[in-house]
Amino acid sequence: MPDAGPALSLRDLSKTFPGTRALAGVDLDLRPGEIHALVGGNGSGKSTLIKILAGVYDADPGGTIEVGGRGAAPATGWTPRDAFAAGLRFVHQNPGIFLDLTVAENIAVGAGFPTGPAGNVRWGALRARTRELIDRYHLRAAPDAPMRLLRPADRTMVAIARAFQDREENQHGILVLDEPTTALPVADVELLLTALRRFAAEGMTILYVSHRIDEVLSLAGRVSVLRDGRLVGTVDAAGTTEAGVVGMIVGRRLEAGAGAGPAPEGARPVLEVRGLTGGPVRSADLTLREGEVLGLAGLLGAGQSELLRMLFGALPAVAGEVVVEGAARRFRGPADAMAAGIGYVPSERAAEALFASMTVRENVSAGSIGRYFRGLRLRHDEESRDVVAAMREFLIRAGSDAAPAFTLSGGNQQKMVLARWLRRRPRILLLDEPTQGVDVGSRQEIYALLHRAAEAGTSTIVVSSDFGELERLCHRVAVMRRGLIVAELRAPHIDEHRLTELAHRSEEAA
Amino acid sequence: MSVEDRTAPAVDQDAPSLGARLGASAAVRWLERWSLLVLLVLTVAFFGFIWTQTAATFMQLANFQNIVRSQTVLAVLALGAIVPLVCGQFDLSVGNVAGLASVFTAAAFARWHVPLPVGIVIGVALGTLAGVVNGTVVTRLGVSSFIATLGSAAVITGIVNWYTQGLSIIQGIPPRLTDFGGGNWFGVPSPFYVVVLAALLVYYLLEHTPYGRNLHAVGGNVESARLVGLPIPRIVFLSFVVSGAAAGLGGVLLVADSGAGNPSVGSTFTLTALTAAFLGATSVKPGRFNVVGTLLAIFFLATAITGLTFAGVRDYINDLFTGFALVLAVGVSVLLSRRRGTGSA
Repeated sequence: MPDAGPALSLRDLSKTFPGTRALAGVDLDLRPGEIHALVGGNGSGKSTLIKILAGVYDADPGGTIEVGGRGAAPATGWTPRDAFAAGLRFVHQNPGIFLDLTVAENIAVGAGFPTGPAGNVRWGALRARTRELIDRYHLRAAPDAPMRLLRPADRTMVAIARAFQDREENQHGILVLDEPTTALPVADVELLLTALRRFAAEGMTILYVSHRIDEVLSLAGRVSVLRDGRLVGTVDAAGTTEAGVVGMIVGRRLEAGAGAGPAPEGARPVLEVRGLTGGPVRSADLTLREGEVLGLAGLLGAGQSELLRMLFGALPAVAGEVVVEGAARRFRGPADAMAAGIGYVPSERAAEALFASMTVRENVSAGSIGRYFRGLRLRHDEESRDVVAAMREFLIRAGSDAAPAFTLSGGNQQKMVLARWLRRRPRILLLDEPTQGVDVGSRQEIYALLHRAAEAGTSTIVVSSDFGELERLCHRVAVMRRGLIVAELRAPHIDEHRLTELAHRSEEAA
Repeated sequence: MSVEDRTAPAVDQDAPSLGARLGASAAVRWLERWSLLVLLVLTVAFFGFIWTQTAATFMQLANFQNIVRSQTVLAVLALGAIVPLVCGQFDLSVGNVAGLASVFTAAAFARWHVPLPVGIVIGVALGTLAGVVNGTVVTRLGVSSFIATLGSAAVITGIVNWYTQGLSIIQGIPPRLTDFGGGNWFGVPSPFYVVVLAALLVYYLLEHTPYGRNLHAVGGNVESARLVGLPIPRIVFLSFVVSGAAAGLGGVLLVADSGAGNPSVGSTFTLTALTAAFLGATSVKPGRFNVVGTLLAIFFLATAITGLTFAGVRDYINDLFTGFALVLAVGVSVLLSRRRGTGSA
């Protein structure tokens, strides 16, 4: 095999979706045996690039993909079969592992069970093949061990071995790893990274996609940075710093944020959180003042969502204190939090907030239907009147209050869920990704509704992975990293780029 | 990155209106709502007028009285069974609970000589108790309702057979009860008035109380319901208590109708009751379990089966017809919910 050429060479990859250019003319070269990191913010084009490589998305005409000197193939029309034949293997964040099956069975799920003449599984052959893979990839596992007993890092390695099982010993492929450490406990991250370094030393080429800059710098030989669908540059990991990479991710765009204005400094605190711990969240301290909009920024999995759920009693807290309007509270469930004047809009609208087959009316009054029960019957007329008024107030566009929720657009569904809480005039409103899957017009309307609620005295905590949104909505933003609140910015000093930098930075640099 | 940049390309656009999406004119929607009523009328017309072989016997008052009387127990069971179904739970024990109630109500009269009201209370209370047990197993132990009630159905059958040795209890049933069961008021079989009362109660519960609305919410999306503060275990538990009580009342009606405590009553009743519930959910309020639809379904099934029996088809038609109707009804429900982009039935 000629050693000179790149293992993977991408030229002029572009992808246009209606209304957006997700990827614009990206060139990328991977050297054989190299660990090459691909980083970038939300929506920078990382996942689009991977999906083109995997043959899931069709690239715009003009781009080419070349693997190991086989000649450049047009990226348009590149299929999953092409990717597989070229030796590209993909292992995702959740690597499709079956915890209740054994290691050998998990291996077989990838390539089929070896069978005998009667269609019976040849367990001996499967075990032998698994043992061979265990040796080749230095897995700390036995063929018959249940997957559940393996460490999370080892499970990911089994997934990698499974992906490459059809390759000969000396025939190295290209591994594309998509955020493999996001779901791993801290202690397992280093285990996996060590294994990856060894795979690379043995000749495997790795494209490593991550948003953890510290990890990337310790692992990769070179780092490529994407921003707004363009390749900002490729640098040697040894010759750069964390700040340097963050600078490339963030860019140098000067853009004045609308901002929420100065925080209501003197207002009394309505919510005080001390030492709240649970899930990934470690000892969170927060104070929320009357009429304040407080943002929580952080990378996916940093603990913002779980913090909100604990404040709403939807996730049990292990330790800590929650004080609402001066009174210490212990919420055993959402109903307790609601009684204390707290409302919660979860991020997964369809799964956690919507009653899709029920009417707008039933959706809006869900959780507060009791108020219409008088004289032993439900006052449907009164309920309908109230909901029609709420539809007007909260800008919900639907055929009528009797329209089933599934007929509404995403934006109107979200305003409907907001109306459910806002019309109760909550003292505290907890919002997780309030504009996810919402069109631009509805997004502006939702911002206006939230501003109006804040002016009326509702205090709000917003979690959003769209830092521009936080810049725009919040009086104050707390930044979370791996379960800890590590920084706080106040308007007018809240800045999308500064937030990105703070969210990405590693502990040592903080 | 500005706000506009991040508008995801594939995220949902404005959904078309309901009418457009279903491609349904007003007439089609009317037909969807009242399909069971139309089927019922067509069935009566077919056996009563069109098919000469059955016309003479079928179109008699006594025949219709018989059909109605024979379905009263089932109707009460089905009405009770839709309460757990609304919140997404199965009660597969309703038929067996009715058998249990009928046997012990009859035994209370025959062996312990209790007065009529006490016997009725015993029957309903036993059914309620069975519901309490079902609800506890489902909500406290977290056993799926399908398994829990399938198990309790078998246990109840065992208890009934152990107590009766497989024999009906026919002596000592108060004549006032059997007279009620066999009698008519204003030409309508008197037990039917109990069905009407039960229907009104279940309708009130489902449509005019906060509990009913919360049941629908739990059935619509458990996680959403939890996150609007609804006490899910209590809601689910109560639904089993209601269906158990209804099954107990059904058992008392069974004694009134047949004049006996019958140990062989059980799973067949469950199957037919659930068939009616699912069939009813395709009509009147398509996609929702509802009282009127359930009643229409019961009488449609009974009318069709009676007509076929008159036409000379033998007993097996009962099982065949019910089985097909169940699968068809659930199939239609799945289609309806798929069209709504929500989960399956």
